[in-house]
Amino acid sequence: MDVVGELVYPTVGLLGLYAFVSLASLVWEGVDRKLVARMQRRIGPPILQPLYDFLKLSSKETIIPSTANFMFTAAPGLALATAIALLAYTPVGFTPILASKGDVMVFIYLLTLIGFFKILGAISSGNPYAKIGAAREATIMVSREPAMMLGIFAIMWRLGKLGVDKPFSMGVFYVHNIWEIGTPMSFVGAVILLYVFTVWLASEIEVGFFNIPDAEEEIAGGLLVEYSGRYLALLKLTNAMKAFISASLVVAIFFPWGISGYLNLTGLSANVVDLLFHTLKVFALLFFVESVFRAVTGRLKITQAVDFLWKNVFLASLVGSLLIAMEVIM
Amino acid sequence: MTKVEYWVKMPFGPIHPGLEEPEKFILTLDGERIVDVDVKLGYNLRGIQWIAFRRNYIQIMYLAERMCGICSFSHNHTYTRAVEEAGGIEVPERAEYIRVIIGELERIHSHLLNLGVLAHDIGYDTLLHLTWLAREKVMDTLEAIAGNRVNYSMVTIGGVRRDIDGKKRRIILDMIKYYREVFPGIEDAFLHDPTIEARFRDTAIISKRVAMEQGAVGPTGRGSGIRDDARWSERLGVYPDLGIKPVMPQDVTGERPRGDVFDRMAVRIGELWGSLELIENALDAMPDGKIKTFPKDNILVAKLKLLVDGEGIGRYEAPRGELVHYVRGKKGSDKPLRWKPREPTFPNLFAVAEGVKGDQVADFVVAVASIDPCLSCTDRVAVVQDGKKKILTEKDLLRESIRKTREINSNIKGDPTPVGSSCSR
Repeated sequence: MDVVGELVYPTVGLLGLYAFVSLASLVWEGVDRKLVARMQRRIGPPILQPLYDFLKLSSKETIIPSTANFMFTAAPGLALATAIALLAYTPVGFTPILASKGDVMVFIYLLTLIGFFKILGAISSGNPYAKIGAAREATIMVSREPAMMLGIFAIMWRLGKLGVDKPFSMGVFYVHNIWEIGTPMSFVGAVILLYVFTVWLASEIEVGFFNIPDAEEEIAGGLLVEYSGRYLALLKLTNAMKAFISASLVVAIFFPWGISGYLNLTGLSANVVDLLFHTLKVFALLFFVESVFRAVTGRLKITQAVDFLWKNVFLASLVGSLLIAMEVIM
Repeated sequence: MTKVEYWVKMPFGPIHPGLEEPEKFILTLDGERIVDVDVKLGYNLRGIQWIAFRRNYIQIMYLAERMCGICSFSHNHTYTRAVEEAGGIEVPERAEYIRVIIGELERIHSHLLNLGVLAHDIGYDTLLHLTWLAREKVMDTLEAIAGNRVNYSMVTIGGVRRDIDGKKRRIILDMIKYYREVFPGIEDAFLHDPTIEARFRDTAIISKRVAMEQGAVGPTGRGSGIRDDARWSERLGVYPDLGIKPVMPQDVTGERPRGDVFDRMAVRIGELWGSLELIENALDAMPDGKIKTFPKDNILVAKLKLLVDGEGIGRYEAPRGELVHYVRGKKGSDKPLRWKPREPTFPNLFAVAEGVKGDQVADFVVAVASIDPCLSCTDRVAVVQDGKKKILTEKDLLRESIRKTREINSNIKGDPTPVGSSCSR
């Protein structure tokens, strides 16, 4: 067994990626807050404010309510660990580090697991607001994921038909992309799916319409209400990374193009350049989905959000998937 | 199979990010549905009426002004009207016009604040900042006129303290010009935004019957279809000359009033325009003349000592609804025997607690914000148990305290029966 090739390089790569993504996602949060502040004619915090917050929270006193049980303290760490593990399966400008046949399943599983751990930590806190937040998170989770799953499986299956080594792997997007299928129908389907994935991304990072589980004015912060100190820091970092990772998926599906090919780079330098370019694309996507979206909308009620996700987004996903898969089926 | 419902009681407040002031509600929830609301007041009680026992008529004006930051003019004005009625004091006409102008400026600033709070409660912070940015202009105008952004101290018994001269008049006209440009944008954002529509329509419906029963006043009552405005129905001061009429939701939305949050918000938007018009009319119609009956405060104190004998009631349409002050005085005393304000938030709060039943938790904070609650005005002694209001008299309190003492220590001897009709203080 090639220890260096199969164990050391992926581990070092994952650690490097983790360091970069955690920094980039926190910086993005700062940029987002600044941009939204400018849209609302405020000055806004410094761009590095989330980073300062993270460092400050890490050193603050951590209060654990007497009603909390063990999962309350374990959940933030588990959520962050899940997010780090998820990075190994995330397309960030190049084929994921641990790409294998069918790793899309692992990706979806781990992405949902983050939310699951947050719910677990919240219901273990014994706070009624946190419980309402957890119930809302669970409700919105089962409503938003089916549309995404249907879309991603349809796209991967269709791209697999174009000929790839590892079908249902995240690497597929860098071999063929959705715009290459070529028929007019599939183009329309791709545009519809872009809409589906954009809404899914907004509901995944819970902004604008979908800021329901954490609704500050209604349930005082919801899932995060009892967290403080370093646990809150961990959860904030997890949330920021989750936003980056979810956006990475959408970018990889719809805008996978890299620039290393044009610069004639190979190996590590190509990966670094692609990662940086990918980060720019993620920021651009998040600008529309997060900053603009949350500047021009308020939050819905949970029933309205569920209605919207099933009756609008899921149906759109169904139509888009059918349009993409049409000429293969028929 | 019978449906099993798990009801959960959840405290909402006293300190909660969605509430501006300490107030407590105990929500009985079935999942996200609100089954029952129990209102607990008294977290902001500062004993203002008790403090007033040791103040004379002039000093109570300052006290009344500081009951609440937003409606500081309303309290002062209404108290002044009550004393003027009790003492039979005539107010110069120019002073009445200046009172109208300040009152309407305050209404603009209060309504803009409430619109922003409503938007903030559904997480729509852009609208919050839009309205509060617009609010800065009226605050600056008030500062230029009265010298203060919040406690204006403009009114005194028998007139107003400061005149509105040519320079101040220009500042107000500037402000009106600014708002004529800004309000269409705000109105459009609030009346035609899909998020606002989704969240505010059919939320916390207070039917006309409930509004009547609970005595809802102000925008809350008008939103439910009760055509009542103290300025209009009481023919208050010079308001009838300025063409006052109550703003109903159908004037703004063009639809039948439904009594939901949207209608209450629409009434406020309509009143913003109405206030601008009133200020313009008042500036045009304002006659020359003196601004107060008694030139100096020491003369006023001496006169009030002689004049006030009997009771007076002041009524005024504060931004939140009809405000009533009751003053009873005696000849020869420089302080009132009794001073009792009655705030619009009190009936409105119970009306909205009734209206929000059956809605979701998410609606609750919007519903409470939609009546524009002013708890620092409202808090007094009242016990609400099982949805019923119970006023505790001295006898009840004594009985309760005896019961408690017995409970703690049953060995205590002695006759608890009070001497005379009531116990000594």
